[in-house]
Amino acid sequence: MKRRFSKSRMLLALALTGTASLASAQRPDPGKTFVPPPPVPEAPYGLSDLDASGPLFPDAQLGDDAYSMAPPPVIVDGQVVDGPMSQDFNVVSHSLSDFLALAAQNNPTLRQARLQISGETAKALQAGLYPNPTLSYSGEQIGLDVPGDKDSPGEFQGLLVEQRFVTAGKLRLSREKYMRRAHVSEHLAIAQQFRVCNDVRVHFYRSLASQQILELRHELLKTAEDGAVTARELYNQGQATRPEVRRSNITLQRARLDVLTAENHYRDQFRQLVSLVGVDVAIAPVTGSLMPETEPISYQQAVSTLLAESPELMAARAKLAGDRVTLQRERVEWVPDIVARGGSGYNFDAKETVAVAGVSIELPVFDRNQGTIRQAQADLMRQQEEIRRTELNLQRRLASTYQQYLTSLQIATEYDRVIIPEAEMAYEELLESYKDNRVDWPDVLSAQHDLFDARLTQIQQLEMVRRNEVLVRGFMLHGGLDAAQGSTPPGHIDANPKPR
Amino acid sequence: MPNNEARRQFLKAGSLAAASGLLAGAASAQQPMDMKEMPMPHGHAGHSDNPQPKVPSDSDVQAEMDGFSRFKPSRGNDPDSDYYLGKLMPGFRSAAAGPAPFEAPDLTKLPWKMVRGAKEFHLVPMAVEREFLPGYKMNVYGYNGSMPGPTIEVNQGDRVRIVVTNELPEATTTHWHGFEMPVQYDGSETLTQNPIEPGKSFVYEFDVHEEGTFFYHAHVPMQEAFGSVGWFIVHPRKVFDPPVDRDFGLIFQNFFIEPTQTIADSWRMDWNWHTINGRSGPYTTPLVVKHGERVRIRLLDFSPMQHHPIHLHGHTFWVTGHEGARIPKSAWIPRNTELVGIAQASNFEFIANNPGDWMFHCHMVHHMMNHMTRQVGPRIRKNESIDQYLANTQSRPPVDATRDDPGFATPGYPQEMKGMNMSDAMIDTIWDRREVQGMRAMWPMSIMGLMTALRVLPEDLYHKVMETDEAVPKGSVFEEIVRRFGDPATYEAGPKKMMHDMKM
Repeated sequence: MKRRFSKSRMLLALALTGTASLASAQRPDPGKTFVPPPPVPEAPYGLSDLDASGPLFPDAQLGDDAYSMAPPPVIVDGQVVDGPMSQDFNVVSHSLSDFLALAAQNNPTLRQARLQISGETAKALQAGLYPNPTLSYSGEQIGLDVPGDKDSPGEFQGLLVEQRFVTAGKLRLSREKYMRRAHVSEHLAIAQQFRVCNDVRVHFYRSLASQQILELRHELLKTAEDGAVTARELYNQGQATRPEVRRSNITLQRARLDVLTAENHYRDQFRQLVSLVGVDVAIAPVTGSLMPETEPISYQQAVSTLLAESPELMAARAKLAGDRVTLQRERVEWVPDIVARGGSGYNFDAKETVAVAGVSIELPVFDRNQGTIRQAQADLMRQQEEIRRTELNLQRRLASTYQQYLTSLQIATEYDRVIIPEAEMAYEELLESYKDNRVDWPDVLSAQHDLFDARLTQIQQLEMVRRNEVLVRGFMLHGGLDAAQGSTPPGHIDANPKPR
Repeated sequence: MPNNEARRQFLKAGSLAAASGLLAGAASAQQPMDMKEMPMPHGHAGHSDNPQPKVPSDSDVQAEMDGFSRFKPSRGNDPDSDYYLGKLMPGFRSAAAGPAPFEAPDLTKLPWKMVRGAKEFHLVPMAVEREFLPGYKMNVYGYNGSMPGPTIEVNQGDRVRIVVTNELPEATTTHWHGFEMPVQYDGSETLTQNPIEPGKSFVYEFDVHEEGTFFYHAHVPMQEAFGSVGWFIVHPRKVFDPPVDRDFGLIFQNFFIEPTQTIADSWRMDWNWHTINGRSGPYTTPLVVKHGERVRIRLLDFSPMQHHPIHLHGHTFWVTGHEGARIPKSAWIPRNTELVGIAQASNFEFIANNPGDWMFHCHMVHHMMNHMTRQVGPRIRKNESIDQYLANTQSRPPVDATRDDPGFATPGYPQEMKGMNMSDAMIDTIWDRREVQGMRAMWPMSIMGLMTALRVLPEDLYHKVMETDEAVPKGSVFEEIVRRFGDPATYEAGPKKMMHDMKM
């Protein structure tokens, strides 16, 4: 860089020397000396359709030392990263329903959510299965001396069958408990669907907005190009200084960078959208409208719908029902099962076949499952608080989201109703005045910039409207790639080998 | 009925009956001044194939004195001669006929009635609308519905009573600029009188012992800048010698009015609209005189803060008076350009001895047009139509930076202003006036801003243009003048294309 700078200075010195000698040899014609305006900067890499040899400023010759180097392309592993996107625009466009359909088929979390339900119903199946009988062989008092036989095979050798008889409807309650948990999972699966669909919608509108912003950035770039041309025209009329022309170069280059930034942002949003639908989709224009089609939602309407129909809240309520069953289940746990035992064998003492029968029952003297019942009671109360917590948390999130929704809707609506029409009329009136030779072109350019800038702001606000509207209407659910939730929060009684 | 219209009616009717009817009407309106406005035909108003300029038969003046000819450009033999540059060359009109009628184009006169020995005028300061150019109706302040206000015209020695009734929404006073009067009627707000509140009246009454060029104006600065001014002409008891045939009055003013605006911004320090008697060129009405007449032009600069170097083409005029008083003849100055300062009036007198359409204008470059704009943008680009921008405001056309015109190799190019569009209605309004009939086809492209024209027409052409309803083709009068007085072999007629690309 340093060496290059030195070379540039040397070239400049040579040029000055040459000019001086020329001046001494031959006086220039009056009115023919002209210091040209500063050159137009070369377009950044990726904006190939705007490079200095393109249609804009075809005669602009960049001096060797005007700019140290052209911006280098970004190359990773021998591949140029992120070339211009324009050729991709030939691909067919995608609508919101396309993405929703793709996501419904391919988003893994939706399958996860369905598997959560299956897991719970499997648990319910398992928990309600009756205990198996036990078949045992019994040899008792082996080696007993009996008449006629010392060290006989035993007093008794035989086969026994033991069966536990479950009391107090434990199995029914266990099965019901897990069926209720499966019901919780169903609500959570619906929540997951909202998470995915909301996220697809949000990212669709973000993509749509960034695509429209990109188009407007191109319009603003045309205005900046006109500003650069106008600055040169003013310079050629003696009405602008070199620093003013340089400022127009800065504005032009910033507008070019804004186009690139908008293009990169559009890619980012599109790729995020594609990640949500779970299959690879080539970058293509998205089609749709940012303007909400439905009537605005009131806060009361939003909050009542949310509290009545939120899948999260319904899951929490279902979970409460499950916890009630859990408590019932634990309350009957102390009721002893009856274990009956019976069998037949050979009594080597009596030398005859005998039968065995027995019944056992656990005496709940010390352990009446008090601790677990208490735990289940605590869980039940905890779940009651969880419902309340969920309600309040939803309202808190809604308050913030609704405020953003309302603010952006108010702004976007007024931009649509007043500000943009006013900006457009101001622009048109200035164009008419320019046509009548009554205003300067820079005034028209300024109004044109204001109009495009106002439309840019409106799009940004519409994007916020859509994002928050989706959340408000979609029960505040988002996170379409977060793992699907299970029905049980940590701390529940699932440690038994046999679920109960 | 405007005075010039009355004159035309008179000549078209061609009978004394018409004249007497008009005179009767004027008398019933108690406007004796109108009697002096009546035309004085010189007896040979007909059109001839080869007319020669000659002194009217009812006039005893000569065509040439001391080498100065009233019918061709000439200076005379001796600078010390009374007739050098036509200095004391009389007009066709005799002094005995009284002062020549005062004519302020596009302005009316304030009527009066004799009440208790004084000429009583009623002057009403008010907000008014004035059409600077056809379709460009601007909001300014004036008097009695006009900006500038109507002309007050009296004779030296008259007693005047002016009842000023304020219809503005704010207080005002009226100052009688240049008069030596009892101080209580001077019109200086607060210093000499209480301001006239809205809806209230104040009566100014004084004897006029002066003669000359005076004016009245609001003595509230912003109202002055907003246009509140009018002529106050006092004809001398003893008619000035030599008598003039024409006595014109032109008030030059500046305003700042934004594009798409109609309200003048009197707070501005710069000015983008320029008016002569409330109109901008090419809507200013040319001064049309007959070949050989002695002409007086009274010019008042009532701009807020711009002096005007006023230049008359084709003639050398004598500066014979300012707003203070008439200048003794020994101090008259011959000029082609007279710098007229703010609130100053200058009287020019000359013999119209050079036929043609002559520019009469402020020589300040930026005053020779309205609303100066920079020559950049699509106007100087290859694809210059603004309509393509208007057709779609959602997406603008890409900028065209091509420079095919080799002129762009010259620094500073282009310097000539390319113009605004004129609607057909605007063009028609400009052309519909008799005063401009027969001028070159594209004349409105050169009369812009603080400019008007002096038309010096041979008797027959004057009659045809001003006193008949005959159709006069564009350029025909000018070509006839070239044929008689110029070099027709080298003359090229103006292109008769439409003037949509006007510079104004």
